[in-house]
Amino acid sequence: MNRWISILVLSALASWARADEAFAKDIRPILQKYCYGCHGAEKQKGKLRLDTLDLNFDRGQSAERWHDALDQLNQGDMPPEDEPQLTAVEQAALTGWLTHRLKAAAEARRSTGGQGVMRRLTRYEYANTLRDLLGVKLDFAKDLPPEPASPDGFKNNGLALGMSAEQLEYYLAISRTALGKVIVEGDAPTVVKARVEKSSPIRRVKGVTGNTVVPGAQYLAKFDEFPREGTFRLRVHASAKVPKGAGLPRMRITIGVRADVQAPQETLVVADVKPGAQVLEFTGRIEDFPLPGHNPKYPGLLARITNEYDDGSGFIKRKPKKPKKGEKAPPPDPDLANQPVIEINAVEFEGPLFDAWPPVNHVALIGKPGEGNEESRAMTAIKRFMTRAYRRPVTSKESGAMFDLYRVIRKRSDSFEAAMRETLALVLATPDFLYLVEPTAGQRRALNDHELAARLSYFLWSTMPDATLIELAEAGELRAPQTLAAQVDRMLADPRSAEFVQHFTDQWLNLSGINRVAVNPQFHPKFNDALKVDMRRETQLFFAEILRTDASALQFLDADFAMLNRDLAQHYGLPQTDWPAGVAFERVALKGNGRRGGLLTQGGILLANSDGEQSHPIRRAVWLLDRVLGTPPAPPPPDVPELDGNSPELRNLSIRQQMEVHREKAACASCHRGIDPWGIAFEEYDAVGRWRENWRTNPKAKPQPIDALAKLADGTELTGMAGLKQHLLAHEKERFAAALTRKLLAYALGRSLEFSDAAAVSALTQHFEKGDYQLRALITGIVQSEDFLTK
Amino acid sequence: MANTFDLNRRTFLRGTGAALALPFMESLSHAKAAAELPRRMAFVYFPFGVALPKDDAPGGEWNWFPKAGKTEKDFQFRSVLKSLEPLRDEVTVMSGLSHPRCRSLGGHDTGDTWLTGHRLAAPTYSNTVSVDQLAAQHLGPSTRFPALVLSSDGGVGEPTRSTTISFSRTGRPVPALASPKQIFAKLFGQTTDDQQARQRLNNTQSLLDLVLANSKNVRGKLGARDQAKLDEYLDSVRDIEKRVEQSQKWLEIPKPRVEEKTLDLSATPKGPEEYIRVMYDLMYLAFQTDTTRLATYMIGQVAGATTIANSFPTAAGQQANWHGLAHGAGKKPEALGKFDQFLAAQLARFLTRLKDTREGDGTLLDRTMVLYGSSNSRTHNNTNYPLLLAGGRGLGLQHGQFQQYDAKTPFANVFVTMFDRMRLPVDRFADSTGGLDALVG
Repeated sequence: MNRWISILVLSALASWARADEAFAKDIRPILQKYCYGCHGAEKQKGKLRLDTLDLNFDRGQSAERWHDALDQLNQGDMPPEDEPQLTAVEQAALTGWLTHRLKAAAEARRSTGGQGVMRRLTRYEYANTLRDLLGVKLDFAKDLPPEPASPDGFKNNGLALGMSAEQLEYYLAISRTALGKVIVEGDAPTVVKARVEKSSPIRRVKGVTGNTVVPGAQYLAKFDEFPREGTFRLRVHASAKVPKGAGLPRMRITIGVRADVQAPQETLVVADVKPGAQVLEFTGRIEDFPLPGHNPKYPGLLARITNEYDDGSGFIKRKPKKPKKGEKAPPPDPDLANQPVIEINAVEFEGPLFDAWPPVNHVALIGKPGEGNEESRAMTAIKRFMTRAYRRPVTSKESGAMFDLYRVIRKRSDSFEAAMRETLALVLATPDFLYLVEPTAGQRRALNDHELAARLSYFLWSTMPDATLIELAEAGELRAPQTLAAQVDRMLADPRSAEFVQHFTDQWLNLSGINRVAVNPQFHPKFNDALKVDMRRETQLFFAEILRTDASALQFLDADFAMLNRDLAQHYGLPQTDWPAGVAFERVALKGNGRRGGLLTQGGILLANSDGEQSHPIRRAVWLLDRVLGTPPAPPPPDVPELDGNSPELRNLSIRQQMEVHREKAACASCHRGIDPWGIAFEEYDAVGRWRENWRTNPKAKPQPIDALAKLADGTELTGMAGLKQHLLAHEKERFAAALTRKLLAYALGRSLEFSDAAAVSALTQHFEKGDYQLRALITGIVQSEDFLTK
Repeated sequence: MANTFDLNRRTFLRGTGAALALPFMESLSHAKAAAELPRRMAFVYFPFGVALPKDDAPGGEWNWFPKAGKTEKDFQFRSVLKSLEPLRDEVTVMSGLSHPRCRSLGGHDTGDTWLTGHRLAAPTYSNTVSVDQLAAQHLGPSTRFPALVLSSDGGVGEPTRSTTISFSRTGRPVPALASPKQIFAKLFGQTTDDQQARQRLNNTQSLLDLVLANSKNVRGKLGARDQAKLDEYLDSVRDIEKRVEQSQKWLEIPKPRVEEKTLDLSATPKGPEEYIRVMYDLMYLAFQTDTTRLATYMIGQVAGATTIANSFPTAAGQQANWHGLAHGAGKKPEALGKFDQFLAAQLARFLTRLKDTREGDGTLLDRTMVLYGSSNSRTHNNTNYPLLLAGGRGLGLQHGQFQQYDAKTPFANVFVTMFDRMRLPVDRFADSTGGLDALVG
């Protein structure tokens, strides 16, 4: 049996007989020796009597009293100072037992009986759905409150997704804005077309500005006329000059107002520019960018083009030298000659863009003007829209009620279009749209085909089902196992599956942690924060590549390729001949020294589990145990200070030695023996994920050699990352497969797994292992499983 | 006056809004002149507790609490709170207080209870209304926004690690705002089209009626857990109904004009000093313009390493690990103390701004009670909260003292005193046993 299952058996289902046995053998003697004297039959100090306190942690007040006892023990408040004290071993046994039992009881209380609950769409699901329902690409989720992750790390957990008046107000505001974009009135707007060739002269702009853009310099295009609503297109006529050995220049285009300070600007795109003349074309929604106010102090919309090429020499961070007295121009930076340069010939702006007037999306929602009378148009449009928004057929009673609402609204509105905007916006605030409802009166039942289509599309696309899924549901064919398998293939091949890759990878591996670590420039002077974005992307694309090529998921543990762009390849110290040309990611074969390969050596993972200065073996170990092996260690007890590397006792010790000192303290040893060695194996990688042979306690200290020899709790010795990977592949495959299966199943179902899911997980894990660890097989297995097909 | 607010929302707005609006506006301005000036409360929370070294221990001067003198008045601020010395007569430091019902909760679980005093008991961990939200219900529509809810993390977080200290009347977390730009837009953003806004409110009202009518049908078809989820939605609908009524009235009154330039709205938690400052500034402006009379700000939540505020100590030159500093404060009080000193300086700046602003015969601070503190003493210990009550002298509070209470006194008694000074009919809150006489002159 898999290890996590056995742990679960012990914690969640422990038969009382067995638990009592352990209690009688190990715990009661300790309580008798130290506690019953004051909290027993004779005395009940603090009105607490432990010898008769209920051992059933699931109900009543006893759990709270035990919890209280645990706190007192942990804080060292009990036993009182003048009484005999527990030995470290006794202390660990007693607190360990209490912690374990309390945790199991808490899990039991959270149980939903292995059933999902009516689940609200997450922030990103809501935004994607609105985009697909209305055909408008706008950042809809911007104003919604951020969402919490469940204890297992997922944001689509139905129990954790709450609702409040504020949230509902935001939904109303957003859907109104959105419908305002789709349903238009009046004549077609004037299209603004403008072309700028020479970089616009703007006063008080700092830095080098012109048509030739070296790293750190900029080109500015100012457009006096611009639309305030709608899609726009920006065409950049450019070429690149690339010195031998350099990469392609990295172009960032930002749109916004004012150029004289770090002014409001949002990024439109980051892209490579290749040698030779080319026209690069980008589109965006103008409302997503900061615009000048009406009657502004700084009029005009600015497109700013910068060159963010970073050769790792620190060139991009250097400020241009100021001319010395008597010099007219500053001496050129010697590194300048080696930098790739963007040459801008012209920038063209056009917007708002529309396919027809009224636009196709408008017609799709409410039809063309003059097609029948208002009421019949409204009736048809409302029913059609509700069917799509609710992801199911609607009854005539439902659409009739909404039509009655329309009639009330129509009387208050100036036009048919305005009334339709309001009505449809309000449809988007009903629970049928905001939640995946799947009504059942408690008992388990099979999902109907429409519910299944929705579950499937929110699992693999994070958005509403498309026409094909709906058709299959209408025909009642979707639930056939072969159909489901074929749909999984189709959906994974669709670009929308990038949503699954992104959100699952982020949440499974906790990649948002990358943004929570601030890299200290004194320790890592050449680290460019733009790398954080690349690192997150690398791990997502790595997952996508394994999924796409049907490669074994064991490659997550070690792989002979990586998904890299130039900056990352350079950061990782790959041979220059292997570096991709620019910002675009490529599949790079890893040859030679085995320093890279698999999730464990990816910068995002290493950085997110560091402190921005030093590597953090404990965080890395906890991440490995939790996210990859599925057995998170218990959180540290209260009142335990973090290791302070600067204390005199530890200052000159290596991390490994510091941790040994730490483990010598008996209170820490019991847990850290099982944690630390896993992290020691990561020691060949510094805080920002670079390979190293030496490390320093601070930037000025002498380098000391890395010691990455780790001894696991069971006595196994392994050296460094190579040793760790070998060990995982040789001995922990099943544990990893079960962990990944659990994570994927929890994400697919939108709920935490429980003991009642153990059999399903076990079957799916076997299926996964037999299918050569192919993700596609696992996903198909999940989709065809009883759990996925029922509520 | 009261009758104006009882006007049925539909009759009130049935005609053309402008014509009917006048009596309401008149009655409101009349009320303002006749009634007294506003009474306000702000609550500012920080997580993980403080350093509490003994006097003779190394770093003893970094004990958060003042050094007690012979009398309550005769105390000395230590290093952490020294920036409050110029405001000595405007503050009372309190020790010994905590929520008795919450002492046995996990050390990380009490942030949710700071303003509710509710024992988050199994199996649901449901909470009860927080002080600010209860006060908001009583104050009703006297301001555009009943309360302002802020935190550095934003949103609601997860139960027992909430990223808000405000909880609705049904005990659900009220999402906090975190983006200075968004807060400013909500408070002072100018909307142009009142006619459209009015129509929208009426339409929203109609939809809510429809949804509530439908829900009776739907609810019966659901299991218990789904019903709980639907109820969460329906409660939100009912809350919005009330707000819609309020908003319909407030529509007739223009928002105060506040110059955006005076604020650093681009501040983010990556620059903790600028960020915390602009959050205080926004509270200050909301009070000054009487846009709200209640505000809460959760500087950091209690979830440790995963939160935004965890890196705030860099602002005081400490490691980016608030939680870690707190854990180490037993052995190394100085590091946490220096950061707490920084936080106290930010508070002092806020109080000084309130004090420097005239209102009626006194200052804004005179009619604003600011409660500042944590729900841990030292890390994870749910007793002896570090607490500081400032302002409100014009409402009858008495200051310039260090009050040392014993563990029998519930923290909720402070709330009862504050409700009393707000002139709100709340004489019991959570496990309170009465008011605290020493706080009242």
